[in-house]
Amino acid sequence: MKRLLVTVLTLVLGVGLVAGVAAWQIVRGEEPPPLEVKAAGTLDTPQGELPHYELEMTVYPNSSPAVAPPKEPRLLAASLSGQPFYHPSTSIRVPANSAVTIHFRQYDGGGQIYNPFFAKVHGSIDGTMTVNGKKVTEIDQASVGHTFTVHQYPESGQPNLFLSVPLPMVPSNVKTDSNGYPVTPQEISVTFITGEAGTYVWNCEFPCGDLYQEFGGAMQTRGWMAGTFEVV
Amino acid sequence: MAHQTLFDSDEPEAPTNRPAATGRIREWVSRPYARAILILTVVIGFVLLPLAWLILAAMNQTGAPASPIMEEIEKTVFWFTIVSIPMTAFVFAVLVYSLLGWKRISSDDPPMQESPAIRTNRTGTIMWTVVSSVLAFFLVVWGMIELAAITANSYGTIPADQQPGDEQPLIVNVTGQQWVWTFEYPGYDGATTPVLYLEKDRPVYFNVTSKDVIHNFWAVELGVKIDANPGAATQTGVTPTKAGVFNVRCAELCGLHHAYMETTIEVLPKEVFAAAMREMGGGKTS
Amino acid sequence: MSSATVVQQHSVPQPAQHGKPGGMIRHFNVVTAVILGLVLATIFGFLANRLVPSGATGATFAPVLPDVGFLAILIGWVLGFMIGIGAFIGPFRWLMGRDLTHADAEYLAGKDMGVGRYFRYTTDHKVVGIQYLVGFMVIIGLGGLLAMLIRTELGVTWAGVFSPDSYNTLIGTHGIAMIIAMIIAISGPVGNFIVPIMIGARDMAFPRLNALSFWLLAAAVPCLVASMFAGGIRDGWSVYQPLASQSPPGMIGYQITIIVFAISTGIASVNLMTTILRMRAKGMTWARTPVLVYGIFGAALMGLYAFPFYQYSQILALSDRIFGTSFFNPVEGGSVWLYENLFWLLGHPEVYVILLPSIAVCLELIPVFMRKPLFAMGFAIAGVVGVVIMSGLVWAHHMYMTGWAPFANYPFMLSTEMISIPVGFLVLVAIGTLWRGTAWTRLPLMAVYAVIFNKMIGGVTGIYLSDVPADQFFHGSMFVVAHFHYMLMGAGLFGAMAGIAFYFPKMTGHILDERMGSIGLWTAFAGFQLTFGSMFVAGLQGQPRRVLQFDNLFNISNWLSTIGAYTIGIGMLIFLAAIIFSWRNGKVASGNPWASKSLEWQTPTPVPLENFTVLPVVTERPYDYGVPDPYATAQKTSSDKAGVQ
Repeated sequence: MKRLLVTVLTLVLGVGLVAGVAAWQIVRGEEPPPLEVKAAGTLDTPQGELPHYELEMTVYPNSSPAVAPPKEPRLLAASLSGQPFYHPSTSIRVPANSAVTIHFRQYDGGGQIYNPFFAKVHGSIDGTMTVNGKKVTEIDQASVGHTFTVHQYPESGQPNLFLSVPLPMVPSNVKTDSNGYPVTPQEISVTFITGEAGTYVWNCEFPCGDLYQEFGGAMQTRGWMAGTFEVV
Repeated sequence: MAHQTLFDSDEPEAPTNRPAATGRIREWVSRPYARAILILTVVIGFVLLPLAWLILAAMNQTGAPASPIMEEIEKTVFWFTIVSIPMTAFVFAVLVYSLLGWKRISSDDPPMQESPAIRTNRTGTIMWTVVSSVLAFFLVVWGMIELAAITANSYGTIPADQQPGDEQPLIVNVTGQQWVWTFEYPGYDGATTPVLYLEKDRPVYFNVTSKDVIHNFWAVELGVKIDANPGAATQTGVTPTKAGVFNVRCAELCGLHHAYMETTIEVLPKEVFAAAMREMGGGKTS
Repeated sequence: MSSATVVQQHSVPQPAQHGKPGGMIRHFNVVTAVILGLVLATIFGFLANRLVPSGATGATFAPVLPDVGFLAILIGWVLGFMIGIGAFIGPFRWLMGRDLTHADAEYLAGKDMGVGRYFRYTTDHKVVGIQYLVGFMVIIGLGGLLAMLIRTELGVTWAGVFSPDSYNTLIGTHGIAMIIAMIIAISGPVGNFIVPIMIGARDMAFPRLNALSFWLLAAAVPCLVASMFAGGIRDGWSVYQPLASQSPPGMIGYQITIIVFAISTGIASVNLMTTILRMRAKGMTWARTPVLVYGIFGAALMGLYAFPFYQYSQILALSDRIFGTSFFNPVEGGSVWLYENLFWLLGHPEVYVILLPSIAVCLELIPVFMRKPLFAMGFAIAGVVGVVIMSGLVWAHHMYMTGWAPFANYPFMLSTEMISIPVGFLVLVAIGTLWRGTAWTRLPLMAVYAVIFNKMIGGVTGIYLSDVPADQFFHGSMFVVAHFHYMLMGAGLFGAMAGIAFYFPKMTGHILDERMGSIGLWTAFAGFQLTFGSMFVAGLQGQPRRVLQFDNLFNISNWLSTIGAYTIGIGMLIFLAAIIFSWRNGKVASGNPWASKSLEWQTPTPVPLENFTVLPVVTERPYDYGVPDPYATAQKTSSDKAGVQ
């Protein structure tokens, strides 16, 4: 009888521990809430007339009283304060088979990008993007602020979606407001077509974090400079 | 010594009443334990045999083999399985027979019955040493010949401009960066793509490097794998022989999105490839 | 055993007894250790906070304070813990000229102390063995918990239970926790408790170092746990540079854990080796030494030369991080291959440090349960020696695909294929001993069957991996993961379970409950086959390692693996329940419940403080079981001539 008791107790405690940690992890939730698109009529595209949606994202160089930072990823230890992040959320959800335009406001400085490939725009509807009103296909390699790069999710059943938008940096002599942000950010827009439904991930490909090659810190943290991209 | 067939005896041969040694194989084989082991080994061997084909079936689920290198790899895996089966089956047979062929005791107290104090067996140990050494040497020799063949095929250690060949190999500079693969085609005006385009039946030579941490360029169905190291360029190559869409995966943990550092390979016939390159913005320059 | 001759006692000047026996160390125990560790950690943390200019950043824009602060806290913890447990009392007394009296030494060894001696700096090797056993169970529990979480994520990847960085932390911490647990699995409990008695000694060669090696481990493990809360170890257990340089401060937790653990292992290795070399009983020539002693000696020797590489690699990595050196930073002229070489120079011998003791303990127990001597013991010794020599020559088979030295792939392929021969000798000895025996089918023996089965599968799959062209497909895929789990867990852990079940009566005075233990073991075995068999399939299909989301193609293999993993978890929990239950309530064991002829079973249980009232003299070969072989040719007295079947 005692054997059974000890066994059952051990099993209950053991399984309970595992289930407890898993449950706590699910409840705590790791990804920020999704950012939804706003409908914007239809758009004439090389693939015909498609429903058009718009999305707005902002890149801040650090948090401030005006802009709260995303959730800190670690329980204790070094916070990511002072590191850049996408606002308001890094979980993006867009509809399938539509044309989507993302408007970026970029408030951060930058520098030389490691891989010139990412100084060009890829995957947009006509190979161009709009920077501060002008249509361009690439920006200066030495003045990149961040990028928004969507890439393959290891699921072979979904279409290959590759979208990469370089976001130019704000010049170093720009005027800043009371929060330390530039008064006039860089404004970038890019339009692309989504295919069938699928799940992708995105991250910034400009070294804007810290540690080795500045690819640590915020760059490797969901909710800051990396996130999910769902086509539903 | 009366002949006993495997299924005739009503009591297994006890450990202490075993027959005398014999040098005559025919007589040895007639003994119950010898026949049992041989039969068990053969049966287990045949049970394990389909593994050789099942393993290949698992490897080929996404379109492999798509290159001579992958075919060599599969051949190696197949034959290594086949040659490993006899020894494995023998060990399993001994495990089974040791438990079933002689008496078992499951008492709480130590058993009274003792077994024969066999401290060694010259034939057994020599045979094992010889067989395992022959097996090991076979694996080594096969592996070395194989490796030399693949290295020659893939130009493993020779820089691109010293490669022989009637047709100029396609050179692709593979750059791994956290967490995207980019492929540059120096022979096509430096066109760069996130998807790898290859030409069917044309040797391709990869210069692989990384911009940050160690990645690993794994063209799964083509059987190509090499680390992408920062600060160094590694080389490998292959000739794709099958048209289709295949996978590139990163096989070295490289951070947050390591699992998502994947892209596709499109192996295209000659004209389609040329058209695709033109579309990328690169007319062939060399 | 021959009758003892009493040696003339000469009077030796004894040191003066100052105060009660034990002196200062009476006041130190694990509670003072933890308190002092926390206090010093806080003090060092505050100091770091004060001394580092606020907002200071390093060359890579990383704030300096978290790294230096966390390092300071960990150093404070380790230092405080070791002071608080009384580790420095010995050198301090020596400096003060207060050598240990006999009463002091007995106090240190835990004489008349009751249960409290397990929570102090006790030098008795039996106490240290039990401490290691409990430590092993705690660490493997942590690793097991993480494994269940990993498989939960992989079983339901679409649910996204963990984000990628949390998942990377899980696998990294799981890996290093299991490695640490398996290194101490047999060398800790059995190496400490049983080996000195087995060779007829009173204690180990360096009893105070023995206690030190355990308490260093106890100080290191909280650093590992702390790292999980400081950002975690996100780079696998091998923490390749330069990826590790991008990690949050949790990486420093890993580095400190390893630096301290390497000291602990080095000390333990020296202790074991010296004990085995110098303290074997009179008459125990090398030919009369049991194979377990050879196995543990071999493991200790490999650990001794391999662990400094590991420690060194982590010291350099820490230096890169804190001082901004560039040993491994290619941008500044360092080399990533340097790290890989340093790491795998440890990494390969280390898996044999894990495997050898488990196989050796299996070889040790088979003769007892088959009532016949070990078959071809010379081959077992040759196997151990071969593994020890060759394990240092094969490390770069982990680096076939790095492009480090492509022509080096040939000699490493040769040495890797060759190492299968000595390992094969160990299998030969096992199956030769199993042959033609009356099987006493108790739990330890049945576990050996599981071990040999798993070792064969692990060994054959290792053959694929040792072939460079085949490795071009398999490296970095789940096939590798399944292979090393078959070796380290299938052979290593199940072997450790066999050894623990075998020595349980001597260590705890009770017999491990057969039914509970068997149910636990075989449930875990069944789950193990399902988990890692499916994992082989996933690897063959092309699933890479260390990924938390993958193509639908791998879904079925991963579901099956997860179900198997839960089964392993349940089986292991049942085995744990068996241990917990049997420790106090199991069937009381006599001094020699297995009727073994080995020295350690000739002592009463519980084993007296000094093991033997009179040190034994060994006159017989080991494993002298069985009916004398009528077909053996005439034997010389001290050697072991071949008998024919």
